[in-house]
Amino acid sequence: MCNSRLETETLDAGGHCVLEMPSGTGKTVSLLSLIIAYQQYYPEHRKLIYCSRTMSEIEKALAELKALMRYREDQLGRTEEFRGLGLTSRKNLCLHPSVKREKSGAVVDARCRSLTAGFVKEKKERGEDVPVCIYHDNLDLLEPHNLIPNGVWTLDGIMRYGEEHKQCPYFTSRRMMSFCNVIIYSYHYLLDPKIAERVSKELSKDCIVVFDEAHNIDNVCIESLSTDITEDSLRKATRGAQNLENRISEMKDTDADKLKNEYAKLVEGLRGADEAREEDAFMSNPALPDDLLKEAVPGNIRRAEHFVAFLKRFVEYLKTRMKVRQVISETPPSFLAHLKEHTYIEKKPLRFCAERLTSLVRTLELTSIEDYQPLQEVATFATLVATYEKGFLLILEPYESDAAEVPNPVLHFTCLDAAIAIKPVFDRFSSVIITSGTISPLEMYPKMLGFTTVVQESYSMSLGRRSFLPIIVTRGSDQVPVSSGFQVRNEPSVVRNYGNLLTEFSKLTPDGMVVFFPSYLYMESIISMWQGMGILDEVWKYKLILVETPDAQETSLALETYRTACCNGRGAVLLCVARGKVSEGIDFDHQYGRTVLCIGVPFQYTESRILKARLEFLRETYRIRENDFLSFDAMRHAAQCLGRVLRGKDDYGIMVLADKRFLKKRTQLPKWINQAILDSEINLSTDMAVGSAKKFLRNMAQPFKQSDQEGVSTWSLKDLEKFKESQDEENIRALREAQMQGSEVQNGNGERGDEYDVEAEAEMMQLDH
Amino acid sequence: MSPKSIALVDNPMDDMCPICKSTRYLNKGIKFLINPECYHRMCSTCVDRIFTAGPASCPVPLCGKTLRKRGFKPAFFADLGIEREVDIRKRVGQVFNRRQEEFETLLDYNDYLQDTEDLIFDLVNGMAKEKLQAEEKLKAYRAMNLQEIEDNKRAGLEEADYERRKETAEKEAARQRRLKLIREQEEGKMDVEKSRRDMLERLANTDEDPTAITRQAQKVILKKSSARRNLTDSSSDPNGGLPLDSSLSIRGLKKKVAPIAEEAYDPFGGINLTPTRYVLNDEYENEWLNGIKTDTRILAGGYSLPEYYARTMFEAFSGLGVFINDEVGPKAKPEVRIKKEVEIDDDVF
Ligand code: SF4
Ligand SMILES: [Zn+2]
Ligand SMILES: [Zn+2]
Repeated sequence: MCNSRLETETLDAGGHCVLEMPSGTGKTVSLLSLIIAYQQYYPEHRKLIYCSRTMSEIEKALAELKALMRYREDQLGRTEEFRGLGLTSRKNLCLHPSVKREKSGAVVDARCRSLTAGFVKEKKERGEDVPVCIYHDNLDLLEPHNLIPNGVWTLDGIMRYGEEHKQCPYFTSRRMMSFCNVIIYSYHYLLDPKIAERVSKELSKDCIVVFDEAHNIDNVCIESLSTDITEDSLRKATRGAQNLENRISEMKDTDADKLKNEYAKLVEGLRGADEAREEDAFMSNPALPDDLLKEAVPGNIRRAEHFVAFLKRFVEYLKTRMKVRQVISETPPSFLAHLKEHTYIEKKPLRFCAERLTSLVRTLELTSIEDYQPLQEVATFATLVATYEKGFLLILEPYESDAAEVPNPVLHFTCLDAAIAIKPVFDRFSSVIITSGTISPLEMYPKMLGFTTVVQESYSMSLGRRSFLPIIVTRGSDQVPVSSGFQVRNEPSVVRNYGNLLTEFSKLTPDGMVVFFPSYLYMESIISMWQGMGILDEVWKYKLILVETPDAQETSLALETYRTACCNGRGAVLLCVARGKVSEGIDFDHQYGRTVLCIGVPFQYTESRILKARLEFLRETYRIRENDFLSFDAMRHAAQCLGRVLRGKDDYGIMVLADKRFLKKRTQLPKWINQAILDSEINLSTDMAVGSAKKFLRNMAQPFKQSDQEGVSTWSLKDLEKFKESQDEENIRALREAQMQGSEVQNGNGERGDEYDVEAEAEMMQLDH
Repeated sequence: MSPKSIALVDNPMDDMCPICKSTRYLNKGIKFLINPECYHRMCSTCVDRIFTAGPASCPVPLCGKTLRKRGFKPAFFADLGIEREVDIRKRVGQVFNRRQEEFETLLDYNDYLQDTEDLIFDLVNGMAKEKLQAEEKLKAYRAMNLQEIEDNKRAGLEEADYERRKETAEKEAARQRRLKLIREQEEGKMDVEKSRRDMLERLANTDEDPTAITRQAQKVILKKSSARRNLTDSSSDPNGGLPLDSSLSIRGLKKKVAPIAEEAYDPFGGINLTPTRYVLNDEYENEWLNGIKTDTRILAGGYSLPEYYARTMFEAFSGLGVFINDEVGPKAKPEVRIKKEVEIDDDVF
């Protein structure tokens, strides 16, 4: 409740903010209601762009928005002019009877494009017989700004509406984006420059942008600009270039005018050639500086055949580079210098590569775009490598692992700077709100993403009772410290202590229990050791044991079984990985998760060259020390895992952090978790932990009525007014005091917040692998 | 030889020498060479065998070009068609090496680029006739623009050199920063260690309240570490690091202007001291000077008559033609104005 003041500040002042709010406590709805109220109160009705991560989160947010609007309607007694839409990929929204049956998203996209592209329509108008999508063409018969009535449309809802009126839900959403008040879609539509350019460019500057579940936003940014090139993709790219060449010579014979037209436009500049840069654009392009788009295409790739030869040369060059049998990491400038020396390819035409290819593909009216995907990737890579001197690195790894004999070279073009992808968003929109349940330490994000905040706030939780029990277990019952540190992780005593911990908690936990390991590798080794020690047999008596695997299908099967077992009383343990799928998107509310056990600190695999490069970059550019970053990253994943079990105010659960290193990292946990850890519960052995867990569960078993929460975690209007009064008084008093003892306050500040720095050094000695 | 047929040789597993049929399987260290005359591939053993004795004709059937051993080199590209294209580009690039700065408009430059590309295409893919024409054109252009080609070549080399230097400088700077960081961390660790030791000693040797000592020591350590942290933070430059060696960044320069030769130092700052109102003669007829002219006793000491003439003449004429009012007038006025300004300023406050 009290956060509203801070946020309005953000909205009024026009600035960015980072908020941490406990998960599962109506974060989404409170944000939505606040912004909607703000939006409807002011006459300019600033648009809200709400970005979430997964499809299910988008669906959830839409449902909440719908409920919210119904509530507003009840309260206000009238319906507001309001339209809220969600957008996801074609694969989820397609209605075309045969296209929608395709399995892969890329194929759906490609097939849809071949049915809806601009030239298909032209052909049809000329009377040729070409396949089209009736759902798409029906849209053209409607008023362009009123494709769908007002209201909030969930994804399901819009699908149903589309089916009824025979109109494509995907394109309905996309075209209506500029005419609605709230858009809810995935991060990628804003962050991935390849998509953002097309989907989001029409959004006006005063939009309010919210990134929900944004604790991983830096990784999303980085992934959206990184590419991996393999020998196989290069082979395919060559084939694609060969096909292009054939098509060009074909077209020269049949339809030379088209090529000439394209040529004439390119002489003017890319933008000129691009009047049709709209939704049917075939391929996507990475972020280009605007001046580049206005500039004319360099003369040596203006003609189609020249350009194809150019591409071929570039691909051959990459092939040659891939033959090297040692690890190479180099910066874009040195790559470009080498490239120029051997192929006479200059930087400038390289920058235009992706745009030029798009234009060519459009001119050639190609429909089977999948074939050109690898070529497109190479072109994107070319453009990026020539555009950015800093913040990127090329790493060539000839072997998959150090032990591998057969070379399988991969050229990683990695983005090191998360700020590059997100910069356009911050530049363009005046208010950006980044929020998540676990986004500590807050100051790391502005640093990494390169922006300044007006508000940075971490909210603690107000609960009617102590509904979750976070404890840190540092040693087993035999007082041997437990840790997943590299030196000790495979010692039998440590493994056995972890095993005992698991057994004890599976005995006392009702229904479901989730266990997180730092990596698949460690999970496998520890499970096999437990098998030998007979620990799994013991656990089996109390719970079903299920394991997450890298395979999505298997994992979803395991999850399903897990849920059944939790519901029918058998109870189950799910063993999974802190960076896996389970830890990110899946909620274990109520009986699905009463205990979460985090075995070891989930550090990243530090031997990865890409990670090393990124660490170095962070140190050099943003002055973030390696240890700080690694520890921050590990803790945000740990917090993410812990947050899985508590998904609402009437939920309860135990959170066990089992590693002696957690003791010192406690401060890096989100405020709402850290505050709930009692000082007596930070350095427990297994038996003590069991004791306090049992006590906690006994408390939780007491009946808990809705009315108990009143006034503490849910407020009535009267409570709110009272709070406001007291808050005002408080403010006045605080101000007065501050004036009187201004100097003293200043002195006090220096000593805060450096508690964990001292230890960081020591900690890193025992890093995981 | 048609370039198309070469382009199809794109099989990395094709590890067999077409001449002697030995493969990588039999000969692990097999190396393939090509000769830019005809781009036929053969193994290094074959090259040694056939061409060591002197120029011979290519052993590939229907080729028969005369090749020398000197001309053989390993191919950079797997696709020999590309290899050939790049060799041609290299040749053309040495001649057509104009830079964008030399053109009035971007459009001109782009047209130029396209023309060059067309020429290369003719050389690579053209029929015999087109090829010949292109060669002619190349030759003619070279003959016409000899000087400029040289200039641009030099400019290109300089640029590449500059880039290289810039990168090494950057790398070095990064290394230095890293070293410094490590040193600082080491120092910090030692500091903490030392404080700990001190504390232990005090605990052992004095009979103060032990908890007080520990708490105090903890505080000292924390303070030190945060102070150190602030120090490193403030020493970092605000623009996000990577300070470039400023002597290297001359990117914006359009045309290199040769530095103007430095002139000799002029103590009078350019005032012309040659007399304007009289002409200084070498000789003046004067009775009482005549003796001196020949008197070695005087001249031996360094007495110089011309100097005496110059001084006397200067003294006689100095001050003529100088009007004090003219000199003082313009100076006096600004003084007044300045004073006024001061007054105005006073008024404001
Ligand atoms: S236009 Fe819509 S319905 Fe038709 S194929 Fe594309 S996504 Fe499917
Ligand atoms: Zn041979
Ligand atoms: Zn030959």
